[in-house]
Amino acid sequence: MFNKTAIAASVIMMSITTAQAQDTYRIGITQNNVGVDSYQTTYESAFEAAAEKAGNVDIVVLDAGGDVARQIGQVRNLIQQQMDAIIIWPTNGQAVIPAIRQAHNAGIPVIVTNSKIAEAGLEFISAFSGPDNVQQGISSAEMMCDALGGEGKVVQISGQPGYTTALERATGFEKRLPEVCPDVELVETQPGNWNRERAQRVMEDFLTKYDQIDGVYSGDDNMGVGALNAAKGAGRADEIIFIGATNFAVGYDAIERGEYYGSIYQSPVDDAEAALQTALDVLAGKELPKMNFFETPKITAENLEEFDRPVF
Amino acid sequence: MASADQPKSGLPGVKLSKAGVMSFLSAQGILIFFLLGMLAFSLFSEQFLSQSNIMTVIRQASIIGIIAIGVTVVIIGGNLDLSVGSMLSFSTVLVVDLHDKIGPTNAILLMFAFTLMIGAVNGFLIGFLRLNSLIVTLAMLSAIQGLVLIYSGGQNVDIADQEGTWFAFFGRGYLGGIAVPILLFGLLAIVVQIVMSRTGYGRRIFAVGGNPMAAVYSGIRKNWCVFSTYLISAFCVACAALVLGSRVMGSQNNVGQGYELLVLAGIILGGTSLLGGAGSIWKTVIGVLMLGFIQNGLLLMGYPYYTQWIVTWVIIILAVWLDLANKRKSLFTTHS
Repeated sequence: MFNKTAIAASVIMMSITTAQAQDTYRIGITQNNVGVDSYQTTYESAFEAAAEKAGNVDIVVLDAGGDVARQIGQVRNLIQQQMDAIIIWPTNGQAVIPAIRQAHNAGIPVIVTNSKIAEAGLEFISAFSGPDNVQQGISSAEMMCDALGGEGKVVQISGQPGYTTALERATGFEKRLPEVCPDVELVETQPGNWNRERAQRVMEDFLTKYDQIDGVYSGDDNMGVGALNAAKGAGRADEIIFIGATNFAVGYDAIERGEYYGSIYQSPVDDAEAALQTALDVLAGKELPKMNFFETPKITAENLEEFDRPVF
Repeated sequence: MASADQPKSGLPGVKLSKAGVMSFLSAQGILIFFLLGMLAFSLFSEQFLSQSNIMTVIRQASIIGIIAIGVTVVIIGGNLDLSVGSMLSFSTVLVVDLHDKIGPTNAILLMFAFTLMIGAVNGFLIGFLRLNSLIVTLAMLSAIQGLVLIYSGGQNVDIADQEGTWFAFFGRGYLGGIAVPILLFGLLAIVVQIVMSRTGYGRRIFAVGGNPMAAVYSGIRKNWCVFSTYLISAFCVACAALVLGSRVMGSQNNVGQGYELLVLAGIILGGTSLLGGAGSIWKTVIGVLMLGFIQNGLLLMGYPYYTQWIVTWVIIILAVWLDLANKRKSLFTTHS
């Protein structure tokens, strides 16, 4: 009832009134590509569970299937449906900006989740919620420093060139490592493309090239396990510290076995809950920073038990 | 051994005339270029020509190499197979996923069965329905990628007990000091080369690819010949999936993405013509090893792997040009 009068008055008015007081919020989400990996699949069910738990939210859950055009259509659809807020997991950080601007112009707050959009779009969104990948790189550098005791030679296997996540993690790692451990040398970085087999090949070549490797930093655990495979094959796994990011189940198990030193725990459940909470905070009129990062803690053998084994 | 493609290679034999030397250089130019490249790499990196590095490169190249053997047969038969990359993803995900569910033996058997089935579908559409192989296998490439995603639900698959399973033999094992992937690659290369150059079946494939009309008039059952080349290609992919799955002890949905182009690059580098009716497995083995050494050499020199794509492009253009120059006996066209 309340909502209908608000619509009748004006679309812009509506977002102001809804921000003040309302029983139930209507939030629409368009996701990137559910089903392509278990992180995204888990994210969706966690988001639905979180909405249920919050109680005062009606959600419309959409999935773009990785298709930018479809996602733009979905955003327009959600604008048509007069949602109170729209959450978007961008399929492409650039191409979705016009659709986000439309929602913004219609007075609907937009929250970007998980992956950032391009600089040009930031003025049209209310907030971003997701992991801080630069911080993840920083944390990994600190773990590497601890594990090596301040000295040694390190190689890096980074993610796919051109991916923001890959770039940010590498940036954080490369910046932090010399700060905390000036005597640890990063001797070489090669891309492993988020691909375990590629990472394994890169590591085999590193092992040929360098007689001394004390640590490997991989952009995610999937590649990290590839590096571990290569080192085991060469009989040099015992002398090398392995550190990754985005803790995968295989990485979790390897930490448990003592073969892998540590990683960064990034939970799709935390990611989804943070996105919903950010949206609710925006609707409640709270002052939020533009960038909202959820916790992605370090995970090593010491605190392994505090975390559930990842589902992916 | 390369008797099968002798008519097309135009080697000058023992003539020592200036034209003969030129012709020899252009015919073997790519091999000379390769050796020069190896020399250059070894100057910049002392490990490059070490035995352990050479073994590492051949082992890394063996997955591409095993697939390339099968695709070479398809190409000699006058067709293309672009579906091998997705097929590799599918077969690897399948064998790794089934390993823990039904045991290694059953997993391997089922994986071979399904992979051969995909090959049979390709072969039927191209051999019997006479559909264009480029279109059929390109469509198959995306269809199988979809199939992998449906099957796995996007999950990475892993083998739980990596140390305990004998499945490790195919990707990580050694026999007589030589890595099993290398042995498998070598064995397949020898067997298929002998089949192609020494048997009636091999000759029929060359005939079908070189002059399909004449082949049909001389009583060759072209449909079956083409069909069989796709079975061989699928069989090779299944072998490669065995090595890849065992080597990584896990698989992701896109593990074989782009392999079809690497395989083609290796075949073209080796000098097998994409037009069909000519070529040999040996050439493909050399081409694939060249690709492997280029990638490894660049990495040892500290360049990121994607510089390899540019270098490969240059070498492929050079290879195709020298091949053409050899056929028309001149580096440049004499009239426009």
